[in-house]
Amino acid sequence: MHSRPSLPPPLAPSSHWRTGSTAGGKPLITPTSENFKSAQYEPPAAPESHCHSHHSHSVERSKFTTLLLPATERWPIVHAILVEKDSRRIFYFMMLNFGFMAIQAFYGYVTDSLGLLSDSIHMFFDCVALAVGLFAAVASKWPPSERFPYGFGKIETLSGFGNGIFLILISVEIMFEAFERIIEGRETKRLGELFIVSTLGLLVNLVGMMAFGHHHHGGHDHGHSHGHSHGAGEHSHDHDHDHDHHGHHHEKKGHAHAHSHDNENMHGIYLHVLADTLGSAAVIVSTILTHFWKWAGWDPLASFLIAVLILLSALPLVKSSAKRLLLTIPEEIEYTLRETLPGISGLKGVAGYGVPKFWIDDRNTGEGAPANNLLGVMHVMAARGSDMDDVRDRVRNYLLDHSIDITLQVEREGDTSCWCGVGRSPLSQSISHNPTKSISIF
Amino acid sequence: MAAGPSELGTSRLQPLAPLPLPTPAIVTPDEDPDAGAFFQFTFDNYDSRDDSDSTSAATSQLEPNNHAAFLHPHDASSLRPPTPELPPSMASEDGQAHGGASAPALKNPFNFQTQVISTSPVKSNIGQRRGHRYKHSSISAQHQFFQEPPPRPPPVLPASLPVPTLKEAWTSMQRDQRARLYWCCCHAAVAVYVFFSAEGSLAMTALSHLVFFDVGSAAVCVAVDVLGNFEVWRRSSIRHPFGLQRAEVLAGFAMSVFLVFGGFDLLSHNLKHILESVGAHAPHHPHVGHAGTARYVNPGTVDTASLAAVVSTLVSAYGLRNHGRIRRVMRVPLPYLTSILPGAGILANPFHFLTMCFSFLMLLLPLVSIPYFVWLDRVICAAIAGSMFVLGTRLAIAQGLMLLMSYSGQADFNNSGSSGAEKKTDSLVGGSSSTVSAVVREIESEPQVARVDEAQFWQVHYGLAMANLKVCLVRGSDDSTLSQLRSRLARVVQNRLGEGYGRGGNLRWEVTVQMNTDGN
Repeated sequence: MHSRPSLPPPLAPSSHWRTGSTAGGKPLITPTSENFKSAQYEPPAAPESHCHSHHSHSVERSKFTTLLLPATERWPIVHAILVEKDSRRIFYFMMLNFGFMAIQAFYGYVTDSLGLLSDSIHMFFDCVALAVGLFAAVASKWPPSERFPYGFGKIETLSGFGNGIFLILISVEIMFEAFERIIEGRETKRLGELFIVSTLGLLVNLVGMMAFGHHHHGGHDHGHSHGHSHGAGEHSHDHDHDHDHHGHHHEKKGHAHAHSHDNENMHGIYLHVLADTLGSAAVIVSTILTHFWKWAGWDPLASFLIAVLILLSALPLVKSSAKRLLLTIPEEIEYTLRETLPGISGLKGVAGYGVPKFWIDDRNTGEGAPANNLLGVMHVMAARGSDMDDVRDRVRNYLLDHSIDITLQVEREGDTSCWCGVGRSPLSQSISHNPTKSISIF
Repeated sequence: MAAGPSELGTSRLQPLAPLPLPTPAIVTPDEDPDAGAFFQFTFDNYDSRDDSDSTSAATSQLEPNNHAAFLHPHDASSLRPPTPELPPSMASEDGQAHGGASAPALKNPFNFQTQVISTSPVKSNIGQRRGHRYKHSSISAQHQFFQEPPPRPPPVLPASLPVPTLKEAWTSMQRDQRARLYWCCCHAAVAVYVFFSAEGSLAMTALSHLVFFDVGSAAVCVAVDVLGNFEVWRRSSIRHPFGLQRAEVLAGFAMSVFLVFGGFDLLSHNLKHILESVGAHAPHHPHVGHAGTARYVNPGTVDTASLAAVVSTLVSAYGLRNHGRIRRVMRVPLPYLTSILPGAGILANPFHFLTMCFSFLMLLLPLVSIPYFVWLDRVICAAIAGSMFVLGTRLAIAQGLMLLMSYSGQADFNNSGSSGAEKKTDSLVGGSSSTVSAVVREIESEPQVARVDEAQFWQVHYGLAMANLKVCLVRGSDDSTLSQLRSRLARVVQNRLGEGYGRGGNLRWEVTVQMNTDGN
């Protein structure tokens, strides 16, 4: 093996790797969270950041931003946007989009070109979608309040969901239009103009793709490119380094799963930009094809295919964000929860419990925040003769050990006054508030 | 040796990974009733196989070494003394030697283990009977490795309830539910008819968007109705702590996105048409009259498409009692509309109001022989698109707030005369929402309550809201007073925030009060 200019840096025990031992005394080298952070994302837009990729990425800002940041101190809104990485990206791209739209509209007006004008309308709608995403990205950092007791962690998921639905609707509409045009055989006119417009649009959207690409690290297929860019940055292509990457990528995936904070907002925006890019590419390809083979069906055919692609890519986003909005407990957590729950009735002084309800706490989206906290509600029945405060603390501490923070109501055994019905029959369950009543809602 | 640790580190990760997996299933067979049953089954199976052989002979023959052999896989880690002083390199060499071996046979400094495997009669038996090693489960039963788990209460929550498939949903439907579904299909057919009869008229296209929206929400209502037949809808499990009822809110949110999208889409089409007609000044674009000649209804005749829209909207609203459901989905507070039309039946519902309004307009225009201008078409389209957009955003905000786990305090939309913009900022900033803070104040005014530490009010779905309170009490209250206080607090919340009488929706509040005594 030839000389390696840079040994794999993770080996130094101080940085990113923790050496430990298993129960059997075998040495274990575990990548620590620092390592995940640096491996999680590297902005492809700024090439110089590859060199010092091991810095904490919260301070990784482009020179432009560092120049801009002090200037915006006076406007807190803009400052808040620029400080956070996600919102900064959206903001820059929105500005780019907006500027392009203005130029397009101006030239369209001057040259009386319909294609330019209608494309600038399209651009405007993109800007609106970006603005919604920007708002969600900023709002997600707001603290909880009386009105929003659990903070705004869900707003990004909500925005992602909306974006996904929007994309689905758009692609359905495009499909309909494509059908219509294939049947009618309407001709596309002004090919040259269309070509130029869509090429420009493609360029702008490619910039957006660069900015937002790689971002949804919960994804499946993007991990590969992570490792690649990482390796390229360090100029070491030997085999074991690669292997090493494989290992920690594997770990990282598990981490991302447990973290479950893959950002649906950015994913939605990414898909939106992707859809636009594909759309412009389709127009370019179809104009070229029409130029050579005079068939009116190229354009609708291309747009139909693109629409199908968009639809397929938007569906997983909608599904995952819908799950989170429905407060579904993910499977891994559900498993541990199922193990944790029966332990409660084994605690001293607990005669029974009821209406346990848990949901995921996404108040802390910060990096250092403990992931996977559960919040919840539970009613516990204290056995006769036990101290209710004692029971409360015992159960709460037990659940806190399992990183579940609940609001706990302690009732005395035999007390049937509460709606939860725990006291009515021992080991009763949450469903039994009379079904006739809940049916009458319908 | 420089690259050694990294290789070791990664290769170590691989074989270790399967180790912890089987343990939960074995140690806690009682967690999951299914797992317990499965375990039982395999156990019996091996026992019976034992009986068929000459049990005693086999066991006595295998006794001395086999004991250890059996002990080893499960108890290896616990039997072995912890050896932290062992240099890592030694252990790792050992690990490399056995690197690819199965998980239980990992590390062992003693070598009698390998002898067992190589010399014992186990080997000779392997060819004859499969699963030989498991035969020793009988021994382990004698030695009580696997004890019957202590009896535990059944789980309070089911882990997950089955989500019905389409077929199950279809078979579960009752007669009236099926009728509603059929009507929904009819409504959809009407919408398609309106859409295709538009023939280039933007106003008709816009109207068809509205009808499509009605169809969508009617379909949501039918789906909600059918899903209500299933337990998973309403009953909480670990997987779905609130059942699936929140899906209705989510579907409503998706519908509102549709409205916003439709509004945008229509506006952009409208703009394009205007641009085209402006661009038609250029001589080489013969676009004049494109929109004008597209759709033409004879003056004095009835426009069947608009009539169908009116009728289907009315039937959806009144017939088959679809009305109540649609209102429930669209319970977006519209103070100005309800103040203009107090109790005006279905017109109080903004969405019905919109559809009815515009389809009547489309119906009337040819009847009263108003010539159908292109500009009128565009104006109507713009009006529909604008109102769709406004209503869509309002609906999206109302439902988005619910999805964000907040309580929007719908009761105060009645009495407060503030404009929508004010309320929006109020809700976004999270300022003092009058009702919730009033309730908190009222709770704090209770004599036994020292202070309210935390108060979380949020709405789960249309029919359920939760109030989670952490209350600090003054000292010296006994059980009965605590119980009374608890029910009093629950009553306060339900009465103040539960929607009042005659408003149709009954919002149930689940109140949980965690009580601390001051000084703890």
